[in-house]
Amino acid sequence: MAEKIILKVNDLTKYFPITRGLFRQKKIADVKAVDGVSFEVLKGETLGLVGESGCGKTTLGKCILQLYRPTSGEVIFENKDLSNLSDKELRVFRQKLQVIFQDPYDSLNPRFTAMDIIGEPLRIHNISHGKEYQERVTDLLNLVGLAPYMAGRYPHEFSGGQRQRLGIARALALQPEFIVCDEPISALDVSIQAQIINLLDDLQEQFGIAYIFISHDLSVVRHISDRVAVMYLGKFMELSTQEELYIKPLHPYTQALLSAVPIPDPDVETKRSVIVIKGEIPSPINPPSGCVFHPRCPRAFDLCSTTIPELKEVASRHFVACHLYH
Amino acid sequence: MTTLLEVRNLTTYFHTQDGVVKAVDGVSYDVNRGETIALVGESGCGKTVSALSILRLVAEPAGRIMTGEVLFDGIDLLKLSTEEMRKMRGAKISIIFQEPLTSLNPVLTIGKQISEGLEFHKGISSSDGIQEAIHLLKMVGIPHPERRIYDYPHQFSGGMRQRAMIAIAIACQPQLIIADEPTTVVDVTIQAQLLELIKNITREFGTALILITHNLGIVARYANRVFVMYAGKIVEHGTAHDVYHNPYHPYTVGLLASVPRLDEPQKTRLLPIEGQPPDLIALPIGCSFQPRCMYAVPRCQKEKPLLLDISPNHYAACWLSQNGIRPWQKKSS
Repeated sequence: MAEKIILKVNDLTKYFPITRGLFRQKKIADVKAVDGVSFEVLKGETLGLVGESGCGKTTLGKCILQLYRPTSGEVIFENKDLSNLSDKELRVFRQKLQVIFQDPYDSLNPRFTAMDIIGEPLRIHNISHGKEYQERVTDLLNLVGLAPYMAGRYPHEFSGGQRQRLGIARALALQPEFIVCDEPISALDVSIQAQIINLLDDLQEQFGIAYIFISHDLSVVRHISDRVAVMYLGKFMELSTQEELYIKPLHPYTQALLSAVPIPDPDVETKRSVIVIKGEIPSPINPPSGCVFHPRCPRAFDLCSTTIPELKEVASRHFVACHLYH
Repeated sequence: MTTLLEVRNLTTYFHTQDGVVKAVDGVSYDVNRGETIALVGESGCGKTVSALSILRLVAEPAGRIMTGEVLFDGIDLLKLSTEEMRKMRGAKISIIFQEPLTSLNPVLTIGKQISEGLEFHKGISSSDGIQEAIHLLKMVGIPHPERRIYDYPHQFSGGMRQRAMIAIAIACQPQLIIADEPTTVVDVTIQAQLLELIKNITREFGTALILITHNLGIVARYANRVFVMYAGKIVEHGTAHDVYHNPYHPYTVGLLASVPRLDEPQKTRLLPIEGQPPDLIALPIGCSFQPRCMYAVPRCQKEKPLLLDISPNHYAACWLSQNGIRPWQKKSS
């Protein structure tokens, strides 16, 4: 793999203010959705982002794309910090950074035909016209496994899996280098999920696109990712290659997450034990002191409630934020 | 082990403007006392409707149970009067729904909703019911139950609401619990908490459980026997071991090959089932899975295969399997 870094995120935070008062709104607290996250994405690789709902994974994806403006930190793409660019300057970069949303039911305009949907990025960026435009849309339909005669159909005339294919075709229209896939298969049935996963795999191989693949499904993330980051309450708990993370998980949260996922094989399951972690995810408004996971952690000790553990490299390319390993 | 529930040739149709939706089309299964079985399949395969039919909770007038028998402890539930049926629900058979926010009453306290069933079925006073509710909430792992019984559903988190649903379901110590996708809307760590709770409770009281899910991992972890449904029919059933390790129906084979496994190294290519599930108003002639089946032979398009036992306690509705032809087996070994 070419070790070329295409995206670099430095100490990114995103706080959403909570205000009180009708006329003179006073800020009373912050929701710390993303709280100091740094990482890199290499050309053509897939970085999986896992975590439970509310951990900040979707917010992080949106901050990278500047759909949310980060509170602080940098998002560096092609030597430019995107978070400092104006909306107008960003337009150029939007061609190279694309997104596939979770729910193909409400991310497609119901009044647009398939051709309008897929062609919209081409029209906005003034890329092709007339016959060329039609050919490009036809190519894109073929590329994602839809038939060209479907170009005139509206979203409600497609099945869920086909709609997600439309969303993918739209993301591909401008030949991006990087796509944020935000839970792209969660709304689909199992047999259809596999079709979409294979399609994403093929497209990556063909065009060398890098993905950030956001999902709560740890089995799918293992399948599709080169490296995986585990998020909890706005922070990275662990970041490693797919092999390392799934075979030698270090953080107690990662270990609990992995043990909670059942494997579709009754013989394997009878031999596995489940680590049930107590309690629920605390509020990101007032996160626990020290390590944010310590109130639920089966291995927590004194230091964990007072000192925040840094994300440190403890083995080659294996980063973990846990006092047990520092 | 003795049989607790026997569903025979159950057929539930929905009459819509577009035609008759054959949601459940001649389904038979049985549950032994204290046993956990799983009904597995994708959305629209009829797994939920077949379970709702047991409790006669299918939305009328559109939905109607056309034929069949549901023998519970030897009594045919479909022949009971409305009043007799009410006495079964919650007392002998209870259900845990997928989305607790829509299935709990928003204007009643959690405590009231738990004691309601006890008051109706056991004839106890509401103050005794509240005491019992505190005990039940404690059992399902809700902290400070003596305070939380006065809360309303919106004051509970998703995981806690589902715990309250479990408390309601077990209040009268039923012999059978139906859990309809009980953890689909919660996160994995909460899913593990809830499923372990359901497992421990059913073990402790010897309750039988029908687990309805699309998650093949959950089935493998918790079910003794598995019933695979497709387009309103059971296409294969057997012990979990047999169905996962020696599947007889190409649909089961396809399902298993299409899910990535946590313990599998990366980028082994998934083998999805091509195409879409059929329209339940206009089912294909012959085998319903035949248009998507990569192994189909001409006979599959003409005749519907029956569900037959191919080896002891392992049934499948597939012409190929029944003739000893299993082309998918070569790959797996």
